Amino acid sequence: MKLKMMFTVFLLGSLGACKNYIDIAPQNFISSDNFFKTEADFVQAVNASYSALRIVYNEAYIMGEMRSDNAHYIFNSSNRGNLVREEIADFIDNPTAAPVATKWAGNYKIIAYANEVISRIDAATLSETVKKNLKGQVLFLRALAYFDLVQYFSDVPLVVAPISGTADEILNVASTLPRTAKAEVYAQIVKDAQEAATLLPSKTDQEKGRATSGAAKTLLGNVYVVLKQWPQAETVLTEVVNSSQYSLLPDYAAVFNPANKNHAESVFEVQYLQGNLGLQSAFTYTFMPNLTNINPLVGFQFNNQSIGGWNIPSDDLIKSYETGDKRKAASVLDGYTSGGTFVQQPFIKKYFNLPLPTPNGSSPNANDNWPVYRYSEVLLLLAEALNEQGKAGALTYLNQVRDRAFGAGVSQIKETNQAALKTVIAKERRIELAFENKRWLDLVRNGQAIAVMSAYGSALKASGKYPNLIPQTYNVTENRLLFPLPFNEIQVNPKLKQNPGY
Amino acid sequence: MKQYLCMLLILFWVMPDVQAQFRIIKGNVTGANDNQPLPGVSVVIKGTQKGTITNAEGIYQLEVSDANTVLVFSYVGYQPQEIAAGNKTDVSVSLAFENKSLDEVVVVGYGTQSQRNVTGAVQTVKVAELADVPVPQLSQKLQGRLAGVQILQTTGRPGGGMSVRIRGQASVSAGNQPLYVVDGFPITGDISTLNPDEIESISVLKDAASTSLYGSRASNGVVMITTKRAKNGETRIALNAYYGVQQLPSRGIPDMMDASEFAQFMKDLNEENKRTVPIEYQNPAQYGKGTDWYKLITRTAPIQNYSVSIGTGGEKFTTNAVLGYFQQDGVIINTKFKRFSVRLNSYYRFNKKVRIGINVAPSVSIFTGRPTDGGPFSSTSGLITSALLSSPIAPAVNPDGSLPVTAVSPGMLQTPNWYRVAREADATDNNTRVLSTAFLEYIPVAGLTLKTSLNAEYGQVRFNNFVPSTSGNVNVAMSRASGDLTQTNTQFLTWLSENIATYEKDFADHHLDVTAGFTAQKFRSDMNNVLATNFPNDKVRTLSAATAFTPTSEIQEWSLLSYLARVNYNFKGKYLLSASIRRDGSSRFGKDNKWGSFPSVSAGWVISDESFMANVRPVSLLKMRSSYGVTGNNNIGNYTYYANVGATGSNGTNNYVFDGKLAAGNNVTTLSNSTLGWEITHQFDFGVDLGLFNNRLSFAYDYYTKKTDGLLFNVQVPTYTGFSNFQTNIGTFKFWGHEVTISSKNLNKGLKWNTDFNISFLKNRVEKLGTANAFLGGGTNRNITMVGQPIGMLWGYVNNGVYMNQEDYNNSPKFQTSNVGTVKMKDVNNDGVITVDDRAIIGNPNPDFIFGISNNFVYRNFDLNIVAAGSVGNDIMNTALEYTNNLDGVFNVAKSVAGRWRSEQDPGDGIHPRTLAGTTGLFRNSNSLWVTSGSYLTIKNIAFGYTFPVNTIKNVKSLRLYASIQQAFVFTRYKGSNPEVNSGGENPLSQGLDVGAYPVPRTFTFGFNVGF
Repeated sequence: MKLKMMFTVFLLGSLGACKNYIDIAPQNFISSDNFFKTEADFVQAVNASYSALRIVYNEAYIMGEMRSDNAHYIFNSSNRGNLVREEIADFIDNPTAAPVATKWAGNYKIIAYANEVISRIDAATLSETVKKNLKGQVLFLRALAYFDLVQYFSDVPLVVAPISGTADEILNVASTLPRTAKAEVYAQIVKDAQEAATLLPSKTDQEKGRATSGAAKTLLGNVYVVLKQWPQAETVLTEVVNSSQYSLLPDYAAVFNPANKNHAESVFEVQYLQGNLGLQSAFTYTFMPNLTNINPLVGFQFNNQSIGGWNIPSDDLIKSYETGDKRKAASVLDGYTSGGTFVQQPFIKKYFNLPLPTPNGSSPNANDNWPVYRYSEVLLLLAEALNEQGKAGALTYLNQVRDRAFGAGVSQIKETNQAALKTVIAKERRIELAFENKRWLDLVRNGQAIAVMSAYGSALKASGKYPNLIPQTYNVTENRLLFPLPFNEIQVNPKLKQNPGY
Repeated sequence: MKQYLCMLLILFWVMPDVQAQFRIIKGNVTGANDNQPLPGVSVVIKGTQKGTITNAEGIYQLEVSDANTVLVFSYVGYQPQEIAAGNKTDVSVSLAFENKSLDEVVVVGYGTQSQRNVTGAVQTVKVAELADVPVPQLSQKLQGRLAGVQILQTTGRPGGGMSVRIRGQASVSAGNQPLYVVDGFPITGDISTLNPDEIESISVLKDAASTSLYGSRASNGVVMITTKRAKNGETRIALNAYYGVQQLPSRGIPDMMDASEFAQFMKDLNEENKRTVPIEYQNPAQYGKGTDWYKLITRTAPIQNYSVSIGTGGEKFTTNAVLGYFQQDGVIINTKFKRFSVRLNSYYRFNKKVRIGINVAPSVSIFTGRPTDGGPFSSTSGLITSALLSSPIAPAVNPDGSLPVTAVSPGMLQTPNWYRVAREADATDNNTRVLSTAFLEYIPVAGLTLKTSLNAEYGQVRFNNFVPSTSGNVNVAMSRASGDLTQTNTQFLTWLSENIATYEKDFADHHLDVTAGFTAQKFRSDMNNVLATNFPNDKVRTLSAATAFTPTSEIQEWSLLSYLARVNYNFKGKYLLSASIRRDGSSRFGKDNKWGSFPSVSAGWVISDESFMANVRPVSLLKMRSSYGVTGNNNIGNYTYYANVGATGSNGTNNYVFDGKLAAGNNVTTLSNSTLGWEITHQFDFGVDLGLFNNRLSFAYDYYTKKTDGLLFNVQVPTYTGFSNFQTNIGTFKFWGHEVTISSKNLNKGLKWNTDFNISFLKNRVEKLGTANAFLGGGTNRNITMVGQPIGMLWGYVNNGVYMNQEDYNNSPKFQTSNVGTVKMKDVNNDGVITVDDRAIIGNPNPDFIFGISNNFVYRNFDLNIVAAGSVGNDIMNTALEYTNNLDGVFNVAKSVAGRWRSEQDPGDGIHPRTLAGTTGLFRNSNSLWVTSGSYLTIKNIAFGYTFPVNTIKNVKSLRLYASIQQAFVFTRYKGSNPEVNSGGENPLSQGLDVGAYPVPRTFTFGFNVGF
C-alpha cells in the first residue's frame, strides 16, 4: 500500500511538469508568424529591401566601370588579396570571382525581401495610400534588381514569390530552378516598373530616398532603351521630363556633394549615412590611391593600402574630356601633393568630397550616396530615343546637359546626322556618367565592347606602364560580354547552365 | 603500485590503542597460482602505520605489540588478505590474483553495474592511474588509453581545446564532442575547466545500449565522470604537486628565409617583374640572419600544479574536499592558463533508508593572450603564422630597446610588429563555473530506491580584450588613432531535476533490476558584448574611458523534458538481457516534431560460466555481448526551426536611410522548418570479452556499425532564393569499425611489467546528402564531402610541378594565367584546359586506425610508465603553405622557395614556380603539394617514480616522487609542428587542415604525492 502511494506521488510529480515547458519563443528576433501585421512591420520590411542595394552598389564599379575603358586599377604588389578585381578588369576572370557572386546574391536579396512584402501586402489591413506606396517601392526595387541581373548575366531564374513550404519543396523545387529566358525576365521587369510607376507618388510627395513614380518611369525608360523599344522609351521619359519634378543642378560638382543629397537632379540614389551603423559608404576610400597613409589627401592618418587603388580613371577617359568641360575637374583629380611634391596619380574626384568624417578605426567612413539615376541621364536617354527614331528634339535635351558642363551655349552640339549623333550621345554619356557604372553596359548595348576594349587593352600593354598584364589579358570575345554565373550557384543547382566560355 | 599505496593509506588511519607488548612475527608470502615466493609484498599491522615488505625470498619479519594484531598483506595485482595473528609467530600466506576486471563496479547511465553484467560497450579508467601525466585537462590524460576514442591535442595553447571523438562520430553541423555527465549531471559544455585531481574514475559509454538513456544527446557517446568522495572510516590529507618546464622541440619549426636570403628573393622578384629594386634589397649580403620572428615569440615556460585533498568519512557523514591550483605559461609569449578549483562532496545518512548528498564545485579558469592559432592577419587568429611571414630584415626591437610599430620592408603587405602585438596583448578570458548537485535518496523497502536530485550549473565567461593603439593589425600597421576594447560577458544557468526509481530483486536464479524516471532540464544564457573605441590613451583601459560604443546582446534558452526506463534481467548471471528507452521533448525541435523516442536492446552470454567450459582451464572469462539502439544529437541550435525576421541579414544590417536618418529595416532572414529534429543514429555493436590465465591476459573486441540519419545541415541553397542556406535534417553518414583492447601482465615476479594496448579501425562513408546529393564544400573549399566517399576529403588541384620550358608549356593544358615557369596543374577533366573544374580529391584526413599503448614497470619501489598514442593513414593539408610559398613578394617565404623556376636554363627544383606577377595566383590555391601523410606515433608521457617505504618519515603515510616527460617524442613524416592539428575545429567537414597551430611543447616535470 505504502509502495503504491509512493509510486502515485512519483508519477503525479512527473505529470505535473508544465505542458508548455518545451515551447520557448526566441527573444533575439521576431519569428515570421508574428511579423507582417502592422503598418510599421510592412514599412520595415520595405526598408530592408532597400538595404540590399548597398551590397550591390558597393562593388558595382568592378563589373560596371573597371571592366570598361573608363577605369583601371593600381597594381597592388603588396596585397594580392583582391586579385579577382584585376582579373575582371583584364578579362581573365573566372566564375569563382567574388564580385560576380556579390552582384548576383545582392540583387536576389532585394528580390527576396521584396517578394516577402509583395506576397502579403494585398491581404494586409493597411490604408490604401500606404499600401500603394509600399507596394510600388518594392515593385520598383524588384524591377531594378532584375534589370541589373539580366544585363550582366542574360537569362536568370525568375523568382516572384517568397520561398516557403516543406523541406522537400524548398530543396527539390525552389532550389532547382533553371534559368528563365531573358525575354520573360524583361517582361516581368516592364510589368513591375509599369505598376510601380502607377502606384508610387511623385518625388514631391515621397520621403527623400524612397522610390518615386519618376524613378520607376526612368527605370522603365532605360529598360526600353536597352530593348531598343524607342517609342515606348520616348513616351515614358518624356513623362519624366514633363513632370516638373526634376531639374539639372547648375554646378556639376554639386551633384555629388553629400551635402546636397537627393537634390533636384536626383531621380534615384542609394542612401548612405556616415557613422558606424553599417550604413556608411566606403567607395571614396576604394577609389583613392592605395597609400599606407592618405594624410596628404584627406588630412588625417589612415592606412588605405589594402582598401584603395581601384576604379582609377584611365588615360583614355582623361584624354576624352573636351577643353572647357567643367566636368573633368569635378570627376577626376590628376594626383595629390605629398610633402610639397605633386604626385601624378589620377583618381576619382566625384565621390571625393572633403572633409571626410572620422574613420571607424581602420574602417572607412564616408557619407556619399550612390547615384543610380540622375535627371541628366533622363535627358540623354530621351535624346537617344528620339535620335534612334530619327525624330527632331534630341539636340534640345543633349544640349541641356552640354550647357551645364560648358556654360550656356558655349559648346552646343549641332550634329543632325543620325549615326554621327548616336556616337556623340554615347560619348556624352561616357563623360557625363563617368564612374556611375554605365560605361560597360553602354559599350555592350551599342555593340562596341569588343572593338573598344581590345584596342584599349593593346594600348595599355603597349604603354609599358602595366608590366603585370600577361599576354592572355584583354582577349575580349563575344563570350566575355556576359559575366559567368557564380561558380557556387551552379555547384548547388546543376540545373543552372553556365554562360558559354566560362 | 598506486593501488598498493592506496590500500596502505586506507588501512593506516584506523588506529586502535596500542599496548606495549612486543614480539616478532615471521612468515613467507607466495603466489597462489604458482607457489613462488612474492617479494615486495606489503605487510602492515592493521590500524597502524607500522609494517614492512617481503624480501627477495618472499620472507618478512615484523615486531608486533599485542595479541589482537591483524596483519594486512597487499600486493599490486593480488587480492589483499587480512590475517589475525593471534599468538602465532609464523604467519605465512598465499595471495590470489585479483580478478580486477571481473567484479569491478562500472558507472553507467542512471546507475551502476557489475562489469560482468555489462552488455554494452563501456570502458572504464581510474584516474589515479593517470596521475603522473602533468596536463591540466582530463582528456589530455586519456590520450592513448581508450579504444575507439580519438583524442587530439589540436593546439599546444595552455588550456586549449582538446578534440574528443568517440567511434569517429561526425555530424555536419551538430558537433561531435561527447556528452559529459558529471556525477549524474549532463553538463552543458566540456570538461576543460574541471580539475582532473577531483576525478575518481571515468566510464566511456560507446554503444547505443549504454548511451540510449541519454536519448537525444547520446549520439556522440557519453563520458561519465565520477568525482572523488571520502571513503568510509578514513581520514586523509593528500598533497600532489608538480613543477615543470616546457620546451619547444626543434622538430616542426618552419624553415623560413633569413634576412640575406629574403633580400635576395625580393631583389630577384623585382628584377623579374622589371620593377626598380628598392634600395633595401640591392645588397642582400649585408644582412646575415636578421630577425628570427619565430624565436622571438616563443620561449621556455614553466608549468605547475598543486592540489590538496582532505577527506573524512564516518558512519553517518563523509566529506571530501579538493583544492587545486594550476598554472601553465605558454611557450608563445604572453599566453597563460590558470585555474583555481574547489570541490566539496558531502554525504549524510540519516538512517538506513534516507541519504542525502551535496556536491559543490566552483572553479575559475583564466586564459590569457591574443589568438595564436589559425590563419594570419586577423585580430581573432593567427599570431604564429603572421609572425613567420614578417620581414627578416625588419627589426623587432630598435637599437634603443623600444619596439617599432611596424615591421615591413618595401613591397610587402602592411603588417605590424607582431612581436610587439604579442607582447602588448591584453586579452583575458575569465571562466567561472559552479557545478552543484544535490540528491535525496529514500529506500522505502529493500530493493526499491527512490532518488530525486536537483542539479545546477552556473557559468560566467568574461572576455576582456584591450588592443592598444600601438598594436596594429594587417593594413593598419601604423599606430592607430586609438585602442579598442572588446568586452563580452556571458552568463548561463542550467538546472536539472531528476526523479529516478530503481527496483532490484532476485527470484531464485533470476535477477531483475528496473529503472524508471523523468527529468526536466532548462538552460538560459545571456550574452552582452560591447566594442568600445576612441580611447584618449592606452593607459586607462576601462569602458568608461572610451567615447564610442557598439553593444550587442543575445539570449539563448532551451528546455528538455524526458521520460526514461530500463530493465536489466539475468539468469544465473550467465544470460544477460537489457532494454531501455528514453523519450525526449525539446524546445529546439520544430513545432510539428516535438518528441523523439530512443530505444535500445542488448544481450550478453557469459560462456565461461557454462559447465562445458569448466574444463577449459586457461579461460577465466569468455563473454559475448551485442546491442542495438537508437540515439540522437540535439545540438541543432536553439531557434533554428523558426523563420527569423531580423534586423541583420546575411550581408549586414537590414536598416536603411531615408532623408538622412536611420530607418529601421526588418525582413525574413532564415527559412522556417517546422519539422526540424534531432539527428538519429542507429548503432549495432557486437563484442567479445576474453580473460586468460586467471585474467593475466585479457582481451576485448568490439565491432560496431552506425548509421546517422537526418543530419542537420545548413544545406546550401542557390542564392537566387534570397537565402544562402536552409537548416534541415537530410543526409546519411555510415560508420563502422573494430576495436581491440589487450591488457597483459607480462611479468609479475620481481620485475612487474604490464602492457595495455588498444587499436581501433575506424571507417566512415557518406551515404546521402542534400538536394540531388550535391556535395558539401568542394569548389574553392579545401575539403569536400560527397556521397560514396569518406567525410571531409581534402580537395584541390593536382600539382604536376612547373612548366619547365616552352616545349613543356606548349604541350600541356594551361590555366588562364599560365606561362612558362608557372605551376602546372593536372587537367583532371581532360578538356585540354585548366579551370576551376579541375580540382580533385587529393587526400583523406580520416585515419585508417588509431592506437595507444602503455607499459608499466615496477621493480621494488621504482616504477616506470610509458604511454604512446598514434594515428595511421590520415593526410594533412598544410594550408599555411598558401602564405609561406607565396610568390608575390608580400611575405617572407620558406627557404625552399629559393628553388623556384628562374629560366629555362635554371628551372629550379620543378616544384616552385616563378615569381612573374599576374601568374602566381593559381599556386596559392589548395593543391596536392600541400598534402602529406599525417600518420604519427607520439610518446605522450614517460614517468619514472620512487615510492618511499612506509614509515620512512614520521607522520607521513605515503610519499612518492616522480619525474616525467610529456610529449617526449613525436615520430611523423608531417613537417608541420603538430600532427594532431585540426584547424577546422570540431567540424568534420573541414578536418585535416593546418592553418598554423600553436606547437605542443615537450614538458619536463618533477612532482610528488604525499599523504598524511
